[in-house]
Amino acid sequence: MNIFANLVLRGLATGAVYALVGMGIVVILQTTNVMNFAQGDTGMFVTYLAFFMITTAKVPYSLVLVLAIVAGAVIGLIVERFMMRSVRSRSHLSLIMLTLGLSLVFQGLAAFLFNTVPLLFPPLVTGDPVRLGPVILSRQDIVVLLAAIVVFGALYLFLYRTKQGVAARSISQDEYAARVLGIPTPSIYMLIWAIGSALAGLAALLIVPRFSLEPSFMGLIQVKAFSAIVLGGMDSVFGAAVGGLIIGVVENLVAYQFPAIKDSFMLIVVVIVLLVMPQGLFGKRQQRRF
Amino acid sequence: MVPSRGRRLTANAVLVALVLLVPLIFRTKPSIIGYLNIAMLYALATQGLNLLMGFGGLVSLGHAAFMAIGGYTAAVLVMTYHVNMFLAVVAGVAGAGLFGLVIGFPSLRLSGFYLAVATMALGSSVADVIKRLTITGGDYGLSNIPSLRLGPWKLVSDASRYYFFVIILALVFLAVRNFLNSRSGRAVRAVHDSEMTAAAMGVNVAAYKLITFIFAACIAGLSGALYAFTISYLHPTNFGLTFSIGLLSMSIIGGLGTIIGPILGAVFWVMLPLIIGGKLTYLATVIFGLSIIGSVMFLPKGLSDLVTRIQTRLKL
Repeated sequence: MNIFANLVLRGLATGAVYALVGMGIVVILQTTNVMNFAQGDTGMFVTYLAFFMITTAKVPYSLVLVLAIVAGAVIGLIVERFMMRSVRSRSHLSLIMLTLGLSLVFQGLAAFLFNTVPLLFPPLVTGDPVRLGPVILSRQDIVVLLAAIVVFGALYLFLYRTKQGVAARSISQDEYAARVLGIPTPSIYMLIWAIGSALAGLAALLIVPRFSLEPSFMGLIQVKAFSAIVLGGMDSVFGAAVGGLIIGVVENLVAYQFPAIKDSFMLIVVVIVLLVMPQGLFGKRQQRRF
Repeated sequence: MVPSRGRRLTANAVLVALVLLVPLIFRTKPSIIGYLNIAMLYALATQGLNLLMGFGGLVSLGHAAFMAIGGYTAAVLVMTYHVNMFLAVVAGVAGAGLFGLVIGFPSLRLSGFYLAVATMALGSSVADVIKRLTITGGDYGLSNIPSLRLGPWKLVSDASRYYFFVIILALVFLAVRNFLNSRSGRAVRAVHDSEMTAAAMGVNVAAYKLITFIFAACIAGLSGALYAFTISYLHPTNFGLTFSIGLLSMSIIGGLGTIIGPILGAVFWVMLPLIIGGKLTYLATVIFGLSIIGSVMFLPKGLSDLVTRIQTRLKL
């Protein structure tokens, strides 16, 4: 029982990582209809900047956190303004390729500027692991879990309680009708890209202490985040959050019983989910997509 | 001016002569021939992907998995079961094709982003499974794979392989071109343009999507099998998501939906890091990324657009 509780809680902590990245992808996907394959590498690049702010420039951690969010947002704004805006009406294939190209740019830049030697990123909070009843969790894990909850709450408030959020959701339903009703779609797109990319930076910064900082460290995490989105239904932030947690927990349980199939198991599950119920757990039921 | 047949023939003859003379030109630098051989193998796999994406409109983010299956099947058959090399290559192609059928099934129900995620998941899991199996050498990879042989002749030198690959490449590219101009090829392109219209015209959409997937997988499998006997070493991480994205990049940079695009893209991909060289190698990745973005935004036919422009300039 103890082992089980431990596995589940640690799984939740891992799942929170996937949820954080996944929510950023979904925010961009549901409004702008772009599946951002550069989400992970945007975060990776921001994390490199943060690393040198902390170690070389000795900027305090809390300020770096804020700066990282700002840097992510700026990257998002640039990407929207100078890349995505002119190709919005292209096919899904072109959009996927664009973001893949972007991720290559970030990976190459990071490797070129900062070398590929793995770096150890200092955790946000240090100290002994915390005992919660029978479960032992590291402090950073708790921070990641809390961050996922806060980000989810903030996104929910933004999307459902603010004018811009409602506008963003209306664009995702019908872009043309939204424009007819006077919603300034270009600025909403910019806002959404800024939020999504800021989330990428924040997520990468929070989760990098669990791994090591190298140009490819977000690769597998992003694959899992995509799996989380698929499980959650691709068009719901809630779905991405829950999907991420489920994947984290199941993965941890599978890894305990059958360590060999840890990574493949969830990937196969994702394909089956896509085939059997493409709308995922929380997505809107649609007759046919795309 | 109307392109004259004579000029085009001359140009093609010059091109063929150049291709055949390359090993003589670079006789003092055999490593360049070696890299060109790799580029040709990549071009082969990329042609499959090009068929799938450029002409069929289907995304695959797991194309390296087909190469892995082709390569590992052929290598394991030769090394562990001592099968004839030719039969092993055929088996590798068949194995990849079979897996193409498996990956092809999701494509019947999914499109766009969904297909991208599904193929990404399947492709990554293939690399992972290969890493766990013992017969494939697991995490140590498979080394000392015997070198390519054609009947009684061993193709050891880079130049001999070069000519062999040029022939294979020409045959496969001809096959793809003829396929695309055949009844089935027209059906595939019709499905790309509009699935509904194609279905209304009596095209069996599901069957043609599967055929495209199998054909593309077979070509990639052939590339993988030849790669195994050329490099003599296989490792699962070389066929993960990164390489799938690499193949995708080659096909985009070369020009999606063009026959010569894959060659241009693959040569660009292999040669650019060498030309830049040294410490700047990572800059090549940046240039690849920028090339992809530039291709999508400004040059939809990639590098082959440039070739077309040269052709019109020379009035070929």
